[in-house]
Amino acid sequence: MSTATNTSSGAATSGSLASSVAFRSFVTVFAIVTPVIYTACEMRNWPLFTYHPGTNKVDLFWAAAVKDEGPAMYWYGWTATTLIVAGVLGLLATKLPESTMRKIPLSLTWIASLAAIPVLIYALRFFWRW
Amino acid sequence: MGLIPDFILDYVSDNTFWTILFIVHALLAVALLGALTHQAVAVLMPVRQPVGAGVPGFVTRFRAVHGPGYAVAVCVLWIVTFFFGAWIYTKYRMYVRIPIEQAGYWKTQGVFELKEHMAVIGLGLLPIYWYFWKNARNPEYDSARKGVTVTLAAFCWFMFLVGHILNNVRGFGS
Repeated sequence: MSTATNTSSGAATSGSLASSVAFRSFVTVFAIVTPVIYTACEMRNWPLFTYHPGTNKVDLFWAAAVKDEGPAMYWYGWTATTLIVAGVLGLLATKLPESTMRKIPLSLTWIASLAAIPVLIYALRFFWRW
Repeated sequence: MGLIPDFILDYVSDNTFWTILFIVHALLAVALLGALTHQAVAVLMPVRQPVGAGVPGFVTRFRAVHGPGYAVAVCVLWIVTFFFGAWIYTKYRMYVRIPIEQAGYWKTQGVFELKEHMAVIGLGLLPIYWYFWKNARNPEYDSARKGVTVTLAAFCWFMFLVGHILNNVRGFGS
């Protein structure tokens, strides 16, 4: 059906992800909730796992740095938590009726990302010292 | 120290490996920055007349790119650059951040943390960015497409500049 599609045009092809209502619901919710969940993970410190680069060890969820074994890294764990939770919420959104999804303003996709920045700057206040 | 496949260390030293990885990360970032900047300028100041009409100036040629053609490249570049950056981060945390903190460059470290946050938030925007550009002829998405593209470009510029600053403060091998 779509064999004659000019892929360089960027136009949607029928039957593809780009024309799928479910995919639209997934990506809309995924984009909106990612900054919200990530900010919560950072501020509440909810990593899925903790990586210890000095020893190459991984602990499930949050773990403190071990004395004399270097620092603990939580960013990987925050990222994993965020992508998994956002993915699940995105999948749940595909079950919602299209009429409900169309009520969500698409501008929220980038406004949520920008709005997270001042909150994250505040969360990093430890570093803003003179 | 860190995550390097053993067979690679048969050919290059540990330091050489991380330096090559960092340079590749930086070069990918340059490509991503260029693609996103072209695309962002194209959506902010679209060319109204065909480029062939008269002799277009540099700015006109700069913004007269075919936006949809960049979408997949931007997604791939963001993901690969993110992956390499996340890999380098293991080394950075041990050998760059600790000396930076000891030297008292707190704000420098703070903007790096913000860069890492933006990289993840940008990752979350990629699926809808791709979707909007695959539906580039749908006017319903024009405004949101512009917002998402400019947001990603702004994030990319910030991350690129912060990466440069950090490398100036304490690059690998210093």
